[in-house]
Amino acid sequence: MVVVFSLFDADRLPNLARRSGISPTNTMNKEARLKASINQKLTETGERDRLKELLRAKLTECGWKDQMKAQCKDVIKQKGLEHVTVEDLVVEVTPKGRALVPDSVKKELLQRIRAFLTQHAS
Amino acid sequence: MKMEEKPLSGPDNTRLEALIQDVYSELVEDACLGLCFEVHRAVKQGYFFLDETDQDSIKEFEIVDQPGVDIFGQVFNQWKNKECECPNCKRLIAASRFAPHLEKCLGMGRNSSRIANRRLATNNNISKSESDQEDNDDLNDNDWSYGAEKKAKKRRPDKNQNSPRRSKSLKHKNGELGTSLSSDPYKQYNYNAGISYESLGPNEIRSLLTTQCGVISEHTKRMCTRSHRCPQHTDDQRRAIRLFLLGPSVPTLPDADVEGDSFDIPNGQALLSRLQWEDFPDVSPTDSASSKASTNHSDSKRPKKKKRLDLSLNSGGGGVNMTGVSSSSCQSNISLSTKKKKPKTAAPSVSSIYDELN
Repeated sequence: MVVVFSLFDADRLPNLARRSGISPTNTMNKEARLKASINQKLTETGERDRLKELLRAKLTECGWKDQMKAQCKDVIKQKGLEHVTVEDLVVEVTPKGRALVPDSVKKELLQRIRAFLTQHAS
Repeated sequence: MKMEEKPLSGPDNTRLEALIQDVYSELVEDACLGLCFEVHRAVKQGYFFLDETDQDSIKEFEIVDQPGVDIFGQVFNQWKNKECECPNCKRLIAASRFAPHLEKCLGMGRNSSRIANRRLATNNNISKSESDQEDNDDLNDNDWSYGAEKKAKKRRPDKNQNSPRRSKSLKHKNGELGTSLSSDPYKQYNYNAGISYESLGPNEIRSLLTTQCGVISEHTKRMCTRSHRCPQHTDDQRRAIRLFLLGPSVPTLPDADVEGDSFDIPNGQALLSRLQWEDFPDVSPTDSASSKASTNHSDSKRPKKKKRLDLSLNSGGGGVNMTGVSSSSCQSNISLSTKKKKPKTAAPSVSSIYDELN
């Protein structure tokens, strides 16, 4: 048996297990390994950073950022200016953020990821 | 590290898609987190609400989103249909045409001097000195070519062809302003390569000839509008033209140091009758034995009676005024009044004048 935990990010493993719903078996190990390798590839080639920048730029351009800031304002006004924490904001705002991403941006990003994976994983 | 290949091939597309989705959601969460950190820091540092401090100015400069208006609330072509009153001529001019109109109205600017020059060529109530200066100006002007002059179109009574916006303004101003306002004052602006001598009165011809070269081109039957130093034509040609157009009392060329000569009047009538328009081609400009300036020397008795005697008749009539320039005006007054297209009637008038002088 190969211990591959060291290759994963610490938080990925529990996510994977929860999502796939299977017990830690070889399958999961393979999957995990795969995921890890993909992540590594992304980081090594710099694609992850490029994708991050691209996403940020697109979201700002389409107004998503301003919408999100408005949401944050609501949270702050609700919680009080002095006592708002990062956790408050994250918990309140992230789901809305995920939902508010425009379809065009989402499609473009998925396309780029797919292109990268098919190019590098074969 | 060994890469797993199987999961990314055909039957495992769902896995591929799942992986892609994973990567995507990671990225989005990253972005959200980044935003939260930014906002939180702004709140804690106190600059998060900075742009909302002044409510009044926010309302004042709010982005406008109405149809027909830009985001500042300004109308796009607000001044398009406005009319301005010209301080010079007190007329109402459309805003977009105001600047060119002012240029012409005040007489400043390049085009206006050219138009004025043309107008001088066809009008006879403007002083000569002004047009002399304009002529030299035009000669030196680089983008004027004689060829272009000759090829110019027919007279257009409505607008100046020089105007850069001629076609555009004509297109837009069909109804209201174009015809009514522009036709009248600009009617006189005839932009011709030269002038068509048939339609000019004797006074006009006279004034033209004193300032311009005036040689009639064979192709277009028009007079050359260049100055007396025009390189295209010789002085003999100019003299011939003057003879042709103005008849027996042909004015001397302005740079002449003139007259005071023998006074041969004998066959004035007969000669005049012989001076028909059709005879013009026969007159060769080659009898330039005399200097170009003097046209009234004792050569008057040479076989070419047509030309010389007429000139001497000219001098006779010119006995009243001796200076070249003004003599021309005097003489042409005498001779040209009826000369133009009715040689027959000219003859009696000239003879009557000489009767008086005698």
